[in-house]
Amino acid sequence: MSELKEGLDELRAAVREFLAAKSPESAVRATMETQPRYDPAVWQQMAQQLRLPGLALPDDYGGDGFGLTELGVVLEEMGAALLCAPFFSTVVLAAQALLASGDEAACARYLPPIAAGQSIATLAASEGNASWDPAMVSARAERSADGSGWAVTGTKSFVIDGAIADLVLVVARSTAGPALFAVHRGAPGLRAAPMTTLDLTRSMAVLTFDQAPAVLIGAEGQAGRLMSRVLDVACVALAAEQAGGARRCLELSAGYARTRYQFGRPIGSFQAVKHKCADMLVRVELAEATAREAARLADEGAAEFPVAAATAHICCSQAYLFAAMETIQVHGGIGFTWEHPAHLYFRRAKSSELLFGGPAVYHERLLDRLGI
Amino acid sequence: MTDDIPEFAREARGFLDAHARRAAGPGQFRWGVGDDSVAYFSADPPDVEEQKLRAARDWQRTRYENGFGWISGPAEFGGRGLTPVHELIYDSVEAGYDVPDTGTLSVVGLGMIGPTILAHGQQAIKDRYLPAMYRGDVVACQLFSEPEAGSDLASLQTRAVLADGEWVLEGQKVWTSVAQHSQLGMALCRTDPDAPKHKGITAFLVDMSAPGVEVRPLRQMTGGADFNEVFLTGVRVPDDHRLGEVNGGWRVALTTLMNERATVGSEGSGPVAAALTPARLSALMRATWTWDDRALRRDLSQLLTGIMATSHLNARAFRRMQAGAAPGPEMSVAKLMYAQNLTRAAHFVSSLLGPRIIADTGEWGTYAWAELLLATPALRILGGTEEIMKNILAERVLGLPKEPGIDTTSPFRDLPRSGGAQ
Repeated sequence: MSELKEGLDELRAAVREFLAAKSPESAVRATMETQPRYDPAVWQQMAQQLRLPGLALPDDYGGDGFGLTELGVVLEEMGAALLCAPFFSTVVLAAQALLASGDEAACARYLPPIAAGQSIATLAASEGNASWDPAMVSARAERSADGSGWAVTGTKSFVIDGAIADLVLVVARSTAGPALFAVHRGAPGLRAAPMTTLDLTRSMAVLTFDQAPAVLIGAEGQAGRLMSRVLDVACVALAAEQAGGARRCLELSAGYARTRYQFGRPIGSFQAVKHKCADMLVRVELAEATAREAARLADEGAAEFPVAAATAHICCSQAYLFAAMETIQVHGGIGFTWEHPAHLYFRRAKSSELLFGGPAVYHERLLDRLGI
Repeated sequence: MTDDIPEFAREARGFLDAHARRAAGPGQFRWGVGDDSVAYFSADPPDVEEQKLRAARDWQRTRYENGFGWISGPAEFGGRGLTPVHELIYDSVEAGYDVPDTGTLSVVGLGMIGPTILAHGQQAIKDRYLPAMYRGDVVACQLFSEPEAGSDLASLQTRAVLADGEWVLEGQKVWTSVAQHSQLGMALCRTDPDAPKHKGITAFLVDMSAPGVEVRPLRQMTGGADFNEVFLTGVRVPDDHRLGEVNGGWRVALTTLMNERATVGSEGSGPVAAALTPARLSALMRATWTWDDRALRRDLSQLLTGIMATSHLNARAFRRMQAGAAPGPEMSVAKLMYAQNLTRAAHFVSSLLGPRIIADTGEWGTYAWAELLLATPALRILGGTEEIMKNILAERVLGLPKEPGIDTTSPFRDLPRSGGAQ
């Protein structure tokens, strides 16, 4: 236990140091206003120096075989730093979809380049209605004329890093139901249009498929079960990012409340401000606990994992949004300026809350995982 | 220090197998079957309460005689000389057995006053009281709060004056749990009103059967009386019953309070915890035909999220302490959340029940919730009000500055009082 803890502390320190050097606020701001919205040099260093993309991928596919617990530490730090990089899309969404498909040939083909940082990948699931429910998928997949492959037709929206992905895993419907397909960048019939996003640090795109050649991943009709698993894992990964971001908001607020003077005293000595900070602390502690506990249960293969994942998703979504909102209020006027980072966290918090459907969906998802 | 834990846990199981029955476990919940009580405070009549206290004392004596009465206490006073981690381990093993609830003895007396006597009492006092307390013979209570000293405990007014080598106590204490069962009380008294408030307090052990000690039940808003008022009128206390230095009582009180924060908020069992499970709450939704009400389903999810998040927080804190780490802010967070979860639960259930919680129809599992509903306001007050808990978190964890004031530097005598009286 304590050995593991020390290992996690070392990992955290290494990632934090790396991000402080490579992704300070100035770099985040520069990157978020350019296309593509990530720094390829930093992405390469992340892979080569820290081996982060492969951290939680199996050894057989070029990874280091760690679990969601270790990946969670990395994501907490990335969330705190607002790193602009295709990490969540590639390492969480796409890689987890491949693993959940159980398709060993596809994993052997696509995961090693992901682990090595050579391939950016994403999962295109939701469409114009923003739903992650496989029953709502209308994109179609048909066998190609010569019978050797598939062709996908349809439109996917809110695809994270969709404009820069080398590999797009797309959920499309064949006669057997929804299934997962791989489409390569540059495939004929695939067009990507970047979307204007509330969160400037996470890019999204609309992808249009017009008879785009595709490879079936796993079995036909299998995407329902697969998406449920991917969503559980993605919710926990997102929860780690959210907990990290919320913790950073708390640190910004408490730091400001200690040093900002009004009425001749630090504003943090006023209970009205002090209690806002305490409320943030309460929520941040709970958020971290749920995110880390869910990751631990995932790594143990525990039956409680889906419930814990849904709990962490709600708890961390609410905690982050609360912390980001209160951070602006604790800072007052300066917190509403473009130059202050508070709005970057607010944007990320709101966008993360709604990424997988938000309150309209996540409450019923928890009750569903509980069998209620 | 904790390498022997597996062996210790085995020994605890051996002891419990020999002296108690394994608990049946929660089993499958079925609507309308079993006890429907959701009382946070005890709702027992006096004779039942007496009977439960006797069982608690007997069980504590059995623990003591088998080396589990005071696991982290020194052997010199009947303890086992192990660590608080061993205590946690024992508690988690014992939770799997059907044994009498020893809360009346343990929450205040053994949990808070015992460690205080150990840290600040004179040798003869430790010899006299500690083994007797942990053997289950002596119940102890905490004579701290007063009508004019709630959150601001250090502004207490009960006087203690030295006369002929003995202290004479005069004043009133309030919200005293288990005073009606106690043989011993730990009282904080003002011994120097000319000093600043924290520097003029002395702590004493009071014989609750001494002349001048009067215990009156205090009826709380649920209708029951779980607390007491204790009037001290010319009560004489020998000087060897003083804890710590004269005017050094605040430091002594901090020892006691540090142990309190560790006990409140860790409540994972009992009738309330049993009632707040997903199975029980969803059965209640079915029974009240609110099953498909979208707004109430969302409330249920929000409620369960808070309950499960708190239990994840507790589970992680427990594992960290098992691994030897110092407790972080989790206990204070858990305490705040416990109050929030139970309050939210009581009002959620009220929405399901509708009029069935404003008048008793006799139906199983409905009006019984009124007990919890009426108890929940207390949870945001007892063991440190919400406001004080938030100050503590903000000041100790986040390093925010204290509110500036004159109350810690002026002589206590000169501080303004409620109602303007001096």
